[in-house]
Amino acid sequence: MMKRLVALFALILLSGCAGMVAPPEEARPVSDNSAVVALSETARTDAAGGRLDAAVASLERALRIEPRNPALWQNLAKLRLEQGQYQQAEGLAARSNGWAGDDKTLRAENWRIIGQARLKRGDYSGAQAAFDKAAALAK
Amino acid sequence: MDSSLLEKFRSFAARSRLRLFLLILGLLLAGYTLYLDLTVRAQFEGKRWALPARVYARPLELYPGAKLRPEQLATELAMLGYRDAGNSSDPGSYQRQGDEFSIATRPFTFWDGAQPALQLRADFSGDHLRALTDLKTDKPVTIARLDPLLIGGIYPAHNEDRVLVKLDEVPPLLIKGLIAVEDRKFYTHHGIDPRGVARALVTTVRGGGVQGGSTLTQQLVKNFFLTPERTLRRKFTEMIMALLLEMHYSKDEILEAYANEIYLGQDGNRAVHGFGLASHFYFDKPLPQLTLPQSALLVGLVKGPSYYDPRHHPDRALARRNLVLQEMLQQQYITQAQYVAARAAPLGVTDKAPKGTSLYPAFVELVHRQLRRDYHEEDLRSEGLLIFTTLDPLAQLSAERALTTRLTQLEKARRIPAHALEGAVVVTSTQNGEVQALVGGRDTRYEGFNRALDTERPIGSLIKPAIYLTALEHPDSYTLATLLDDSPLVWRQRGTSDWEPHNYDKTFHGQVPLRLALANSYNVSTARLGLALGVRNIMDNVHRLGVERDLPDYASSLLGADGMSPLEVTQMYQAFASGGFRIPLRAIREVLTADGQPLQRYSLSVEQVIEPAPAYLVTAALQGVVREGTADDLKNYLSPDLNIAGKTGTTNDLRDSWFAGYTGDRLGVVWIGRDDNQPINMTGAGGAMTVWGEMMARLDPDSLVPPQPENIELVDIDSATGLRADANCQGTVSLPFIRGSAPTETAPCAAHSPTRSIKSWFERLFE
Repeated sequence: MMKRLVALFALILLSGCAGMVAPPEEARPVSDNSAVVALSETARTDAAGGRLDAAVASLERALRIEPRNPALWQNLAKLRLEQGQYQQAEGLAARSNGWAGDDKTLRAENWRIIGQARLKRGDYSGAQAAFDKAAALAK
Repeated sequence: MDSSLLEKFRSFAARSRLRLFLLILGLLLAGYTLYLDLTVRAQFEGKRWALPARVYARPLELYPGAKLRPEQLATELAMLGYRDAGNSSDPGSYQRQGDEFSIATRPFTFWDGAQPALQLRADFSGDHLRALTDLKTDKPVTIARLDPLLIGGIYPAHNEDRVLVKLDEVPPLLIKGLIAVEDRKFYTHHGIDPRGVARALVTTVRGGGVQGGSTLTQQLVKNFFLTPERTLRRKFTEMIMALLLEMHYSKDEILEAYANEIYLGQDGNRAVHGFGLASHFYFDKPLPQLTLPQSALLVGLVKGPSYYDPRHHPDRALARRNLVLQEMLQQQYITQAQYVAARAAPLGVTDKAPKGTSLYPAFVELVHRQLRRDYHEEDLRSEGLLIFTTLDPLAQLSAERALTTRLTQLEKARRIPAHALEGAVVVTSTQNGEVQALVGGRDTRYEGFNRALDTERPIGSLIKPAIYLTALEHPDSYTLATLLDDSPLVWRQRGTSDWEPHNYDKTFHGQVPLRLALANSYNVSTARLGLALGVRNIMDNVHRLGVERDLPDYASSLLGADGMSPLEVTQMYQAFASGGFRIPLRAIREVLTADGQPLQRYSLSVEQVIEPAPAYLVTAALQGVVREGTADDLKNYLSPDLNIAGKTGTTNDLRDSWFAGYTGDRLGVVWIGRDDNQPINMTGAGGAMTVWGEMMARLDPDSLVPPQPENIELVDIDSATGLRADANCQGTVSLPFIRGSAPTETAPCAAHSPTRSIKSWFERLFE
């Protein structure tokens, strides 16, 4: 019992750390396509203003233009996480992983999103595995 | 005295009798008026407010870098009814000079807000849009949308033959023409035009019959009655009703009812009421897209739809149309230039009345079915909802053309009776599951049996990738190089007769590498593999991929004996095309209320159902089908450099021809067969694949380069033995393996092979 509690505590700590990392937009532009950049920007403004559905719509529109852009998939995953749609968040982060190639920062972030989503759904061992992957990639 | 009293009394009695008479008359009249009032209001209300849901295609997105050819933009603009109008800033017009377009877009309210009318310049370079500029400010535009194509409606059940429109959908010039010709004082009178009435009375009294002098309001009232009776009493009733309507309703409401009610022609025994339906009936396009001369023709028809019928009496129709144009010029509703151009235009009426009012009835049916999960049928048919869908008219056009032309060619080439072949096509986006095109049969305007959704045919070898997926999910036992046994097989199961699968080429192939067994679609080795894996396990996997129907687990199910619709097959292949994700196919993006308020979004949904590595291997194997297997003739349509993945499907006695395949951006499934299920004597490659190839060739596909998962490694393999090879080996292939699953043993041909070193030891011994 004690062991489980410790594990849970460690997980919550970990997820706390995970939550601190990387706001959606970094210094690096999300794309070199100006339309995609503009739509991402709109999505970010909408998300900041709490208009999450509108933000989702803009990101989906951007994804129609660049369906292989892992940053767009990741940003959508983050929105779904914020909306409490954990299964979707996990699926979208996995989709981002598929297109992330050897971008370890992006992949680590995806695994953190997956970990958070699993944690919220009560899948502690799954969350642990995801956070472990994130940690390994962040090394 | 007496006499004067009597006189007074008499006059009093006479007056009171008159009063009484007047009172009774007044009461009667009031009662009659009240009765008329109730009648006319009931009629009016009954005809109003049942607005159908309107269904739109996806809007075309314009942005620098967009993959779009100038011809494709021209096609889209033509479908939208944009006029090639020289240097005009009128919304809905454009000018093309080579690879440069100036477009004045129409304003439109989208899910995420309104986009005002824009004046844009679009410059193309080869197959993409190079630059987009705002013509007013000369500044670059990052992204803009054209208004979406209206592709159909979901109509009230009792009004199936109407295309109800809102007033703002009626071209403003049509309304002006109507007012110029039929009722110039419409906006100032109170329902009747006294001078018109006087004129009508005079003609009537002179014995000229009851006619003329009707305002639009009176004409509307007249249309509420079923019989065209012409008596003074009817005329009087109509006048009262017209006055009453004007008391209750605004001019715009009356005009809107008129636009939906007026009789404009006859389609067999079906009356054509309203400008909305008339626009489809005569021009085969939605009302908002009508040009000035077309609007003028419809206005002209109000006077006598059969006398001026443009299909039977084009000369009369033309003269009538030009008269309308002249009246419009006189009232200064149009300029001299507009008048001259419109007069010179042909009637533009289609030869035959189109079959239905939807351009893409099969797709609209899919939309309707998806909507029915979330909305009451009643609301769909009456609330005027705006439905924004995923249909890509350019993809749809390619799919329709490829299917119809290839079916005709195939019938000729294979001596099949003309029109015996049928087919269906589904096209989706590989990444988000949006249905871009759906063809339900070769008669693409037919609103009946929809083969893409409702035909259930054995899918034959299209099932095989599910078997190979199940195998490749066990990398300890199966890789692309694993040798499978393709020797004769007899499957005995209690309660069923023996099952003896054969290959299409009637021979057995001994030991075959797994990837080639799929590429060549060998039945025997695949069946043996499936039986080893367990039929139930494989069918469970098919469910996991997104197929919802019950699937039996007979051995014959392994070779696709069970039926599915083309749409279900598409859902299954969507999981392969997306790299292992179950993505529910969507035909709808957004729903808005009639006044443009967002109501619901249908979001992209993804769920990983296959690990990335086995999904990658299945795609690699399916690329092999096109590169060196049953679909290698696809190279006649599409460059091998595109690395397309696909699978052919053929069923017993050659009754069904299937092809499912995907490029980097699109997944397509094609079925060909006969409705009476007679053999069509063609394989998947001979029939469906050619339709697929012709269709995709029109769509500039992206090449398929799936991202390589981290636990995939490429290993050189000796084709002959399936063992590791090196530079010394002939016929080497580089194959993907899940890390750790590649054979450890080296082929005899390799430098460090143990067999080779033993051999060389012997060689040295005897030297």
